[in-house]
Amino acid sequence: MRPKILTVDDSKTIRLIVAKAFKPFDCDVVEASNGIEGLSEAAREHPDLIILDLTMPLMDGAEMLAKLKANAELKSIPVIMLTAEAGRDTVVRIARLGVRDYLIKPFKEDALIDRVGRVIELRLKGTTAVIKRFDDPLNILVVDDKPAIIELIRAGLADTVWTVHGRGTVAQAMELCAATVPDVALVSLSLPESGGFTVFQMMRTSPRMKNLPVFAMSVKTAVDEQMRAQQSGFTGIVTKPIDTEDLKSKIARALNLDTSYKYFETREGILLLKVPGNYTPNVANEIGVHLRNKISEAVDSGVDKMIVDMSQVRKADVSVIKLGLNVWQVCEELSLKQRMLGSPAVLLECRNYEETKDWHFECSFEEALAALNGGALASV
Amino acid sequence: MLDDLDQLVAAAISAVFGTMLNVPVLREAPGAPITNGEAHVAGSVGFIGAISGVVFVYSSASFAQRVTRGLLGMKDAEPAIEMVNDAVGEITNMVVGNIKSRLSDRGMDCMLTIPSIVRGSHFTIEPTTSTERRVCLFRCEGQQVVVEVLLRQTRTANSFAK
Repeated sequence: MRPKILTVDDSKTIRLIVAKAFKPFDCDVVEASNGIEGLSEAAREHPDLIILDLTMPLMDGAEMLAKLKANAELKSIPVIMLTAEAGRDTVVRIARLGVRDYLIKPFKEDALIDRVGRVIELRLKGTTAVIKRFDDPLNILVVDDKPAIIELIRAGLADTVWTVHGRGTVAQAMELCAATVPDVALVSLSLPESGGFTVFQMMRTSPRMKNLPVFAMSVKTAVDEQMRAQQSGFTGIVTKPIDTEDLKSKIARALNLDTSYKYFETREGILLLKVPGNYTPNVANEIGVHLRNKISEAVDSGVDKMIVDMSQVRKADVSVIKLGLNVWQVCEELSLKQRMLGSPAVLLECRNYEETKDWHFECSFEEALAALNGGALASV
Repeated sequence: MLDDLDQLVAAAISAVFGTMLNVPVLREAPGAPITNGEAHVAGSVGFIGAISGVVFVYSSASFAQRVTRGLLGMKDAEPAIEMVNDAVGEITNMVVGNIKSRLSDRGMDCMLTIPSIVRGSHFTIEPTTSTERRVCLFRCEGQQVVVEVLLRQTRTANSFAK
């Protein structure tokens, strides 16, 4: 989501300079010329940051800030004061008003960008967000008053490089978030006094955390509670007892983590799809999400052969067949030669379907490679 | 009233023009501002408190246009009069804000007024009785920039003044 900056200054020149400073960035700048307009715009636009002048007609910056801080919906919007008044007393007064930072006029545009960039994420236009990989470090906040649950999640995610931060109360959770915003939060709905919903609301009203994926943890049978969580806008529900493989998949989807490297690689000029031994619905989904893109990327970079390695698949069902058919279809569309390696379970399952009963599987990567280099177009 | 007022003004105008426009400002020898009949734009901001007064920052209208273009990153387009007025007002506000901050650090607190603009080719600024007047002349990119300060001490500012 594009960040939104509200500049409140009676000088049109300053408002234009602010807009000019952020023009190269992928963000929106909205304007107001005094405190009254500023409050109105803040309520209407819910900006991620306000750049506020001090001396203005009708309502000055100090009064607007006081009203902003008294408004439950707006008080968490960070404010940077941009003022020509820099005396010691003024600076102390500004700090007491609860501003995030202040900048003294005259100012360099770079200084303004730097200060704003410390509060909100600024990205240059035309660049895309860095896509995190599944094996990148993440901070996972788990809010549950039952230490056993936190330990269970920690143990379940031990094969990742993710760090689990367990907190038992709302206050402890928000204290951690004030210091560092986690990448994802898991909040128990069984916290006392609807604490799970309190945490969620506090996160959603904070500009720093309003886009944070927050999952509700709930016992499988607490359907009403889960429905309330869904209506409140939680990112998703994680049911107890927790299936940590399913949890990993949910986190990966919520953060749009790149998991393709787990399944796809280019080896000896050939695109290789490695289907893991435990072919679960989550794995099927992850492969499915990346399949067409990875094959298209490979073709685009000059690769014209593919090997689908299903030799490790221990248990095969119709989902494996679907994957094979899907690969076949995409390869046909993109004129890619392909060969498959299969396990006994896959071979057996293939015999059950008219479309796949005659599929031929190679015994090894080398054999598949030789078959591909023999020049025959794939026929499965 | 303030022995180093000229230095305060010079530091403020250098900071504002240097930071916002990236151009140096040089001090000129004391004298009367050039009045050649050319249209001028003057920004004024008042300050009220332990020490009160008003500061005027003015230059030729053509230089004010150049300043506006520089501030807003306009290349060749001619800025509208309202835009020039606003830019001159803001430059004046920054200059006075800078001076005010230094005075505040010496215990001479005051509040600033909203900037206002005067345009014309034959105006003079005259102090009233018991008001001190200082005129500081500067040169920036070959053009004269004038800062006139009218000061009136409203309480025991002398004890703080340098």
